[in-house]
Amino acid sequence: MSVGLVLVSHSARLAEGVRELIEQVTQGQVPVAVAAGGAGGALGTNAAEIADSVTAVGGGDGVVVLVDLGSAVLSAETALELLEPAVRDRARLADAPFVEGAVAAAVEASLGSDLAAVLAAAEAARGLEKLA
Amino acid sequence: MSSPEPVAVEVVVEHEHGLHLRPAARFVRLAARYGALVEVENVTRGTGRRANARSLLEVTALGVDGGHVVRLTGSGPEAATAVDALAALIRSGFAEPGER
Repeated sequence: MSVGLVLVSHSARLAEGVRELIEQVTQGQVPVAVAAGGAGGALGTNAAEIADSVTAVGGGDGVVVLVDLGSAVLSAETALELLEPAVRDRARLADAPFVEGAVAAAVEASLGSDLAAVLAAAEAARGLEKLA
Repeated sequence: MSSPEPVAVEVVVEHEHGLHLRPAARFVRLAARYGALVEVENVTRGTGRRANARSLLEVTALGVDGGHVVRLTGSGPEAATAVDALAALIRSGFAEPGER
């Protein structure tokens, strides 16, 4: 069991696309949950859904939560407050770009690295210069 | 086993898509098995940029296309072993079932 990831996005399609990328690079070795989109296919985020997702993938070595934009951060922070303390203690909100952070975290998690290392991999994506 | 001097090898990336996402992920996960620090440079682009072989984002940002030459430089424990294994993976063309 590796560290799990929760993808929090306003758009379910965006989050599913990132999950597809992750599965390409980890071959399904990392538990990933999507908490994305609002009611009826609208854009939005939902703290209760995020909390449920963290609980769902957080059984093993912890969970790193990736968020897309602005208010997704607020929803994720609220979600962490909703969690059981034992789950919350092993959940981290990554201050990282959504796509790069998620892919980097997934690769690190697939190596069997611990929660701190997976979080660090996600956050290291902040400083990346994208153009060769 | 520690090498006193860095070990460097240049390899042509024959894979038609170069070091794009999925082959790069295999490369990174192989690199992570060794204690060595291995750095990757895209010799063909010649920007001087160096990527840590353990970082998927750094490796994919090198912009390695099919036919490009990369230089692998290893240092520290198992450097020669790590560089050999990574070079062999590149030379194999990253062949795997279902590769697209």
